[in-house]
Amino acid sequence: MADRVIFVGILVLAGVYFWATSQIPTLEIGDPLGPKAFPRLLGIGLLISAAMLLAEMLKERKAAPSTQEPEEKEDTSTVKVVAGVVVATGIYFALFELLGYAVSTMLFLLAMTAYFNKGKWWTNVLTAVLYSFISYYVFSSLLGVNLPRGVAPF
Amino acid sequence: MDTLTHILNGFAVSTTPINLWYTFIGVFLGTIIGVLPGIGPSAGIALLIPVTFGMNPTSALIMMCGIYYGTKYGGSTTAILIRTPGEAASVMTSIDGYEMAKKGRAGAALAVSAIGSFIAGTLGVIGLTIFAVPLSSMALKFGPAEYFTLMLFAMTAVSTLTGKSAAKGLLATILGLMIATIGIDLQSGQARYTMGIAEFQDGVGFVVVVVGLFAVAEVFRGLEDIYKGTSANAMKITGKLWLTKEEWVRSIGPIWRGGIIGFIIGVLPGAGGTIASIMSYTTEKRLSKHPEEFGHGAIEGVAGPEAANNSDTAGAMVPLLTLGIPGGGATAVLMGAFIMYGIQPGPLLFQNRPDLVWGLINSMYIGNVMLLILNLPLIGIFVQLLKIPSGILYPLIIAISVIGAYAINGSMTDLYLILIFGVVGYVFDKVDIPVAPLVLSLVLGGMMEQSFRQAMTISGGHPKIFFSSAITITLIVMSVISILMPFILPIMKKYKEDGKDE
Repeated sequence: MADRVIFVGILVLAGVYFWATSQIPTLEIGDPLGPKAFPRLLGIGLLISAAMLLAEMLKERKAAPSTQEPEEKEDTSTVKVVAGVVVATGIYFALFELLGYAVSTMLFLLAMTAYFNKGKWWTNVLTAVLYSFISYYVFSSLLGVNLPRGVAPF
Repeated sequence: MDTLTHILNGFAVSTTPINLWYTFIGVFLGTIIGVLPGIGPSAGIALLIPVTFGMNPTSALIMMCGIYYGTKYGGSTTAILIRTPGEAASVMTSIDGYEMAKKGRAGAALAVSAIGSFIAGTLGVIGLTIFAVPLSSMALKFGPAEYFTLMLFAMTAVSTLTGKSAAKGLLATILGLMIATIGIDLQSGQARYTMGIAEFQDGVGFVVVVVGLFAVAEVFRGLEDIYKGTSANAMKITGKLWLTKEEWVRSIGPIWRGGIIGFIIGVLPGAGGTIASIMSYTTEKRLSKHPEEFGHGAIEGVAGPEAANNSDTAGAMVPLLTLGIPGGGATAVLMGAFIMYGIQPGPLLFQNRPDLVWGLINSMYIGNVMLLILNLPLIGIFVQLLKIPSGILYPLIIAISVIGAYAINGSMTDLYLILIFGVVGYVFDKVDIPVAPLVLSLVLGGMMEQSFRQAMTISGGHPKIFFSSAITITLIVMSVISILMPFILPIMKKYKEDGKDE
């Protein structure tokens, strides 16, 4: 099942890529190949990988015709948890410049550890607070890394 | 006799206090990264690139290489004590190493992997020292056509050897090359595939891709495991951290053989440490007088693979330094680090910067000694790291990745990119699309296109130039073979079996 989705995905991507390549304006001066030739080769490479995938899919079907579609069902709650982590990380990034590195990181760590390290309140709060402020100090003051200050008072 | 002088000067470079210090930091961080599951050498090196900006390149590269070979030492500890490889290449160690630990021989398992790693690691660096000069002088004769076909071979080999499916490996390679085409084309000045995003004019930085694919994706997988309740606890170190005489006798052969296998596999593109350790394991099992012990705590099953995955790292440095072409994911990240420091690895580097090259190579001898000390008498300290609850560790890795990604340009685009590539890496893992080929081709993409266009300009636009020399023809034939290999092998096997039946 997944392979079929990938197969279709490759074809769509190849189509989009060929189209986007054709949109690159070219001036035929000096450089005989221009900026489009190499990308066109890549588009062909994509189609080759699609053909190879098709061959592999057919071979597999031939090898095990009886065990067709015994797709083990992935627990949907797992997908939800990972999606939750992705959303939480997205929110963290959205608040990153607004609240600053230290505060947004602290909130992110608090939220994540509250769920994935349940019940260990002391450890979690201590880690979140100490890590975010100490790392802010070390990286922005000692190593000169540019991190957003945001609402932090220092 | 020039070379000898350069090598000796290199020792002078690598033994300056500052470089000794960075060798130590590198191997120390490498051991930590190796011990911790969820972050490997690729992500570790990529995260350090922005932070080490402005450092002396020699010292910075010495440190990053230290991380690379240091992780192989640390990875075995986790494999032995939790049965989870702390680093992909120690997967074979987790079989017999964990069984040894269950039988109260954890100390011996840790000792043999540290000693085996040291012997084979040093053996590998000696190999690197010997082969570097002849190979790099050969590569000096390479023109753009040779380079293009060489990269083609490296990529096809990596495509078909890293994953379960050659088609998906090739797909990953092409995706990496496509990402590399994003941005302003340097020859024509045209913007390509920027999708109207101003930051994309400079291209998509490889650091964000690597951090997303290797660190953030790994966090998603790790948190998923916690949710499923499949994360395991560490065993205690039992038994003395040393070997009995009998264990010594049993281990020394596998260490030598593993060291040689690992080095050869390392030099060749594509295969890498995981395959080297699997090959060493099956070799030892075949040679053993008591193969039934394998899988139940055979010390040979720890000694061989650990040796192999360490000499592999030195072997993998050979094509990176002499040809400027990495043969796998982690060395591709190292190459990216070189380039970000404005240093182009390859044959010219041996002429122009012998101090840097030999300082780097010789620091690996020193680093291996440091690693032996860190991973034998001091291993207890690193084992404490395994007590960090993974529910805290994984969120922290995200926070660390944020610093690394944001530090490059101070750009929010880069942050969202690590999240996107994190999701991509997570999904790719679920559907068996390998990510190492993508990173390799992303790093090489710009160079590959450039050498392609230069070669075509030389030949006046005719592709015959790629079939004009023995080297290019050989490399093209090898590329075609490596693409067709997965299709040829089953047929050959069948043919052989049919022959046997008759």
